[in-house]
Amino acid sequence: MSPLSLTHRDTVAGPVLLVAGELDFVHAAELRRQVEGLVLHAGQCLVLDLSGVEFCDSTGITALLAARQHALAAEAEIVLAAVPAHLERILTIVGLVQVFTLRATAEDT
Amino acid sequence: MSRTGEGPDSSRGNGGRAHTHAAFSALLEDSAEELYESAPCGYLSTLMDGTIAKINTTLLNWLGLDREDVVGRRRFVDLLTVGGKLYHETHFAPLLRMQGELRGIALEMRTAQGARLAVLVSSAVKYGSEGDPLLIRTTVFDASDRRAYEEELLRRRQEAEHARAEAEAARRQAEADRQRLADALAVLQRSLLPETLPRLPGIETAVYYHTASPDRLGGDFYDLFPLGDGRWAFFLGDVCGKGPEAASLTSLTRHTLRTAAHHDPTPVTALTTLNTVLHERYSASGDPRYCTVVYGILEPGRDGGPATVQLASGGHPPALVLRADGGVDLLSTPGGLLVGVLPSAPVVTAGTTLAPGDTLLLYTDGLTEARTGPTRASLYGEDALYGFVAAQAPTTAQELVTALTALLKGFGEGLDDDTALLALGVPGIPAHPLPVSDDPR
Repeated sequence: MSPLSLTHRDTVAGPVLLVAGELDFVHAAELRRQVEGLVLHAGQCLVLDLSGVEFCDSTGITALLAARQHALAAEAEIVLAAVPAHLERILTIVGLVQVFTLRATAEDT
Repeated sequence: MSRTGEGPDSSRGNGGRAHTHAAFSALLEDSAEELYESAPCGYLSTLMDGTIAKINTTLLNWLGLDREDVVGRRRFVDLLTVGGKLYHETHFAPLLRMQGELRGIALEMRTAQGARLAVLVSSAVKYGSEGDPLLIRTTVFDASDRRAYEEELLRRRQEAEHARAEAEAARRQAEADRQRLADALAVLQRSLLPETLPRLPGIETAVYYHTASPDRLGGDFYDLFPLGDGRWAFFLGDVCGKGPEAASLTSLTRHTLRTAAHHDPTPVTALTTLNTVLHERYSASGDPRYCTVVYGILEPGRDGGPATVQLASGGHPPALVLRADGGVDLLSTPGGLLVGVLPSAPVVTAGTTLAPGDTLLLYTDGLTEARTGPTRASLYGEDALYGFVAAQAPTTAQELVTALTALLKGFGEGLDDDTALLALGVPGIPAHPLPVSDDPR
């Protein structure tokens, strides 16, 4: 199993977090910690680039929901970018495609 | 002893050599008597009855005794400690009589001051010309250093033994603590699930519950209970996370659904109530927790006829219906959202009729997210599950759960999530009511 790797960069629109590896019981807490440490301003957009996510269980979903709450609390938006097919399937089953904005790539086009 | 000064070089007679001669002479003037008395070990000779006939100064000094108090007055055993005497009488003397010689026997002597002196004793019997024993010659070596060393070794060994025993006791205590914790967790775990399933008229039921790890309280749950009007409510779901926090969420979920069902059993109403409760309790305070759940109402048919099922789902994988003709239907509920995430969540309903021979299967995603394959990297997915289930149809609730249980066991360590299965089936031959399984889990 590959561990979780998180890469953070700032853009004009807001922070972009590249998430790669496994969002499971062991690693999801790290994503949650990092996201909740991000300073967001009203009107910004937090982008989680999920292209490298290999596995996501319910604790991973919780981390995504915590990120959403963190963004909303700062009156910022949140976008899930480059969601792999297996993760999009899970997000569809649990109905979260209605809750999150999904985008094909991390770049704002 | 040879005389000195008769070596090959003696005729040369230079000064240096003369000096060496003098030193050598001094050494060799050491008489046999002097050597006996001052030797670095003790000597004594005794008569065959043990009476001391001769003893050297070294040994007298070690023991702090005067010659006149010893010679002719004491026996060898009188110089020993009680333990030494015993050993001498029972082992040393008999062996010496038999063998005529003994070497390096450890004994303890007692000094005039009462101190103990550890010694190594060698003895030999001197025989007369007729072969009759005349006397015993004994040498005594001071072994107190060696004995101290041995005692130190023994002490260290006892310390090590003691430490090992303590570590063992600590290990046992930890094991007992662990077992007690595991027992407590098992009790808690059981409180999250019904002990047994009730018997339903005309419906065969079967469940299976797999806990991924005994020390991580599970987040899967199910229940089946009467509504009192001939209908039955059932639910099965999966809360996020694992461990005690997941267990408390499971408990809240289960009891909320049970209470809601008795208030208004309509599937949408029950799940909406649950959503409100969970959201208010967790997500609204910044701690997003949620569950996926299928909740439904089953109304058994009369006289083994078709049963009707109405269900609602919040973010849960679709239920499967295995038909009597071998087909498999998905009871899809697209758009149903995780329960507890938003203040008001869409809940999607579906319904079906279970004719004789049909079986409804609810499962949690531990089944579709089991890691399979040699590297455990790939997941056992929905498509594989549908294929497996299709190969079972038509079947009964119990046979289906048995087959799926075998499949799950085959995953071994790949099954790293909890898994719950609940199957409800209408027996295919109404004339022969099948036994109701209430396999607890």
